[in-house]
Amino acid sequence: MQSTIKNLKKRFDISEVKEQRKNLTFISTEEDQVVPLLMHLRDQEGFSHFVLLTAVDWIEEGVFQLTYILNHPEKKTDLGIRAYIGREDATMESAHHLWEQVATYQRELKEMFGIDFPGSPRVDEEFFLEGWDDIPPMRREFDSKQYSEDTYFPRPGSKSHDPREYMKQKLYRDDYEEEK
Amino acid sequence: MSKLKDILSPFTAWNNLARDPVTIKDPINDRPGAPRYRGFHQNDLEKCIGCGACESICETGAIRMVPVDGEETKEGDSGLRPEVDYGRCCFCALCVDICSTGSLTLSNEYIWVDEDPEAFTFVPGVDKKSWDDNEEGWKRPEPDYELNIKERVTMPELSAEERENSFVEIVKGYSREQAIAEADRCIDCGLCQATCPAHMDIPDYIRAVREENLEEGFRIMYKTNPLPEVCGRICTHKCEDVCAMGHRGDPIAIRWLKRYIADSVGEEYYQEALKQENPQDKDKKVAIVGAGPTGLSAAYYLALMGYSIKIFEAQPRAGGMMRYGIPEYRLPYEALDADIDYILSLGVDIQYNTRVGKDVTLEQLHEEYDSVLVGTGLHAGRSTRIPGTDHKHVYQAVELLREFSKGNEIPVSDKIVVIGGGNVAMDITRTLARLQRQKYGKVQITTTSLETEDIMPADQEEIDEAREEKVNLQPGWGPQKIEIENDRIKGLHVQRCLSVFDENGRFNPKFDESQTDFFEGDMAVEAIGQGMDISYISKPMREELDFTERGRLRVNDYFQSKQEWLFMGGDIIQGPDVIHGIANGHKAARGIDKYLRGELRYEE
Repeated sequence: MQSTIKNLKKRFDISEVKEQRKNLTFISTEEDQVVPLLMHLRDQEGFSHFVLLTAVDWIEEGVFQLTYILNHPEKKTDLGIRAYIGREDATMESAHHLWEQVATYQRELKEMFGIDFPGSPRVDEEFFLEGWDDIPPMRREFDSKQYSEDTYFPRPGSKSHDPREYMKQKLYRDDYEEEK
Repeated sequence: MSKLKDILSPFTAWNNLARDPVTIKDPINDRPGAPRYRGFHQNDLEKCIGCGACESICETGAIRMVPVDGEETKEGDSGLRPEVDYGRCCFCALCVDICSTGSLTLSNEYIWVDEDPEAFTFVPGVDKKSWDDNEEGWKRPEPDYELNIKERVTMPELSAEERENSFVEIVKGYSREQAIAEADRCIDCGLCQATCPAHMDIPDYIRAVREENLEEGFRIMYKTNPLPEVCGRICTHKCEDVCAMGHRGDPIAIRWLKRYIADSVGEEYYQEALKQENPQDKDKKVAIVGAGPTGLSAAYYLALMGYSIKIFEAQPRAGGMMRYGIPEYRLPYEALDADIDYILSLGVDIQYNTRVGKDVTLEQLHEEYDSVLVGTGLHAGRSTRIPGTDHKHVYQAVELLREFSKGNEIPVSDKIVVIGGGNVAMDITRTLARLQRQKYGKVQITTTSLETEDIMPADQEEIDEAREEKVNLQPGWGPQKIEIENDRIKGLHVQRCLSVFDENGRFNPKFDESQTDFFEGDMAVEAIGQGMDISYISKPMREELDFTERGRLRVNDYFQSKQEWLFMGGDIIQGPDVIHGIANGHKAARGIDKYLRGELRYEE
C-alpha cells in the first residue's frame, strides 16, 4: 500500500494517510481531485471494485466529509478516500460514470444530507424517505426529537416524570410545598 | 483440454451437497437476529435506578419515565422505569450506551406482530415479553466504548510526607478546569437531592459550575445550606453514595464541587453575591442555644425572615463541633469563619462563654424570648468502662480535640493507644500522630476498633490517610482491660471481635476469647462515641417533654417539642453529622416562624 500511496502523491494532493488496519487505509484529497483520483485508482492501481460512498456532517466546521471506499480484489485490501466539501449548497462532482451503482449512493446522500450530485441519474427522486417533508434528516441541525414530537403523537395517557421532581413529591413533599 | 473443463466445471458445484446448509431450516419461524442486533428492549429492574438518562438521550422522544407497580421510590432509586414507544423508537441504542447502571439492553428479537397499536408502548422488564431472557442482542461493548466518563477528576492533595508534620489543609481544591471537567460528568438525574438531608439543589449548582456561573451556584447553595465552605470540605456526602455515576464508576465529586464554588466566590464577595439582609420587620425574638450547625443554620434562615436572634454559646468561639471537633487539616478555621461571619453579619447577636443551665437557665430564656431552639450537640465522650479507664492518663477524644482547638496544650506521650473506629477516632489519632511527630520525631500510635475495616464507621479516606501517616490501625478487636503497673499505663489488652451487631441489628459484640493481643501505650484515648448533656433542661421541664421508647427526645416534623415554644435539633435529635444539623436548623426555622404566626401545634 505504501508504494501505491507514493505513486498517488506524485499526481494528487494526498494528505492524512492513516492505516486503520492491515487491509484498510484512509487518505484525504481535495474536492476537485476526487473523481480523477477514483478513476486513476480504478484503471491504474487495480482498485476496481467500488464498496460504498458515505458522508459525515461536521457542522461545527461547516463541512461535509465524503468517504469513498474502494477495494482491490487481488490484494484484498480497501482504500478509503476522504474529501471535505462546504455545507452551504453542498454539491459534489458525480462519479456514477465510473461505477453504475455510485448513482444509488449519491441519490441516498441527496436525500439524507441534501448533497447534490448534478447529472447523476435519478438523483432527485425519493429513495428511502417516501413523502419526506422536512430538511434532510442526517443533517445535524435536523431536530429528530422535535420531528418525532410533531409527527408521532404520544400514546394517550402516557406521561413522563422527571426523577428529581417525582422524588420530591414522593419523599419530601412537605418541605417542597413550603418552599413555594 | 479446456473444453473438457468447461463441461465438467458445473458439476463441481455438486461438492456443496455434502456441506452444511448456510440457509435457515425453517425460515417462517426461525429467523434469529445477529448476535449484536438492535432489537426490542430489555430492562433489568433490579439494576435500574430510574435515573432517566435513557429518556434524556433518546433522539426521538420514544422513552418516558413512568411509575410502575412494585418499584418503590427510595433513596438512590426514583422508582420510575423507562417506557418505550415503538411508534417513535429508531433502535439507535443510545439509551443502552448511556445507561448509568447497565440495566437497559436490546435483545436480538425483531419480529413482533400485534393488532393493538397500544401494545407497542410498553415498559421493558415490567410488561413481560418473550425476548426478556434473550442473551443475544445489543449490549454496550465494554470496556472500549463509553459515553459516560467513569473516573472522577483526581483531587490534588498534600502527600503523606508533606502533611504528617503539620495541620495545613490536606485537600487543595479543584482548579477551574478540573471543576468544569468534573461537573461535566454529571448526568443531571437529581437522585442525589432526595438523599441529601438538606435536599440541596445539587444538579443546579453543578450546572452552575459547568456554565461558569459561580455566583448563581453560590445563591443556589445558600437556599438550603448556609455553611457551604464547611460542607464543601467535611460533609458526609450521602449524596455521593447514591450518585447514578457511582454504579459503574466513581460518583460525581459533589462535595468538592460545592467547595469549589464557595472558595471561588471568596468571603469578601459574599454580600455582593447573595444581596441579603435581615428586614427586622418582626417584633418577635428567638433565642438559640449553641452556635453549631443547627443553631447557625436556624439563625441564618430566621434572620432572613426578619426575626431578632440571639445565640448563646458556651465556648469562646462559634462553630460547635465544626471548630472544636474537626481538626484544622480537614477544615481550616478561615473556611469555617467565612461561613460563620456571613451569618453573623446579618444582624445575628451572639453571646459567647455562656453555658445555658449554668450562666442562664432555659426558663429565663423562655421568659425573655418568644421561642427557643436548642442544638447543643453531643459533646460528652462515652467511656468503654473497661478496667483501668479511670486512670488519669485515659482521655476522651472530644475533650482533647476541644482543648487543642482552643490553642491549649494537650498531653502527648510517645506511645498512644486510641480506642474507636469512627471519624472522631481518626481525628484524634491523626491529630496526636502529628503532635507525636513534632515532639518525638516519629509516630507510635495504635488505633483499635471493634469493627473490622469493612464496617468501620469512619470514612474510607480517613482510614487510608491515617495509614499513610503511619498510624498502626488494628480493626476487629474488643478492648478488655487497660494494663496498669506502678500507676503507669502499660497498654491495652484486646480480644478478637467476631461480630458487632446481633441478628436484630442491635449492638451486641461477640468475642473469641482465645485470640488476644496487647497494644503498648503509656496513654489511652477513648473515642467510641459521644452522648448528649441536656442537664440544662430542668426536671420539671423534662417531665413536660416527650421521649421515645429508647429515651431520645421526641419532636415533631418541625423539631418542635411538646413544650411548644421549645425546638430542638441537630445531633441530639438526628445524625450525628453537620448536614443533618443544617437541615434540622432550616426546618426548625420554618417551624419557629409558623409557631410564632400561630400556625404550628405540637400534636402527639
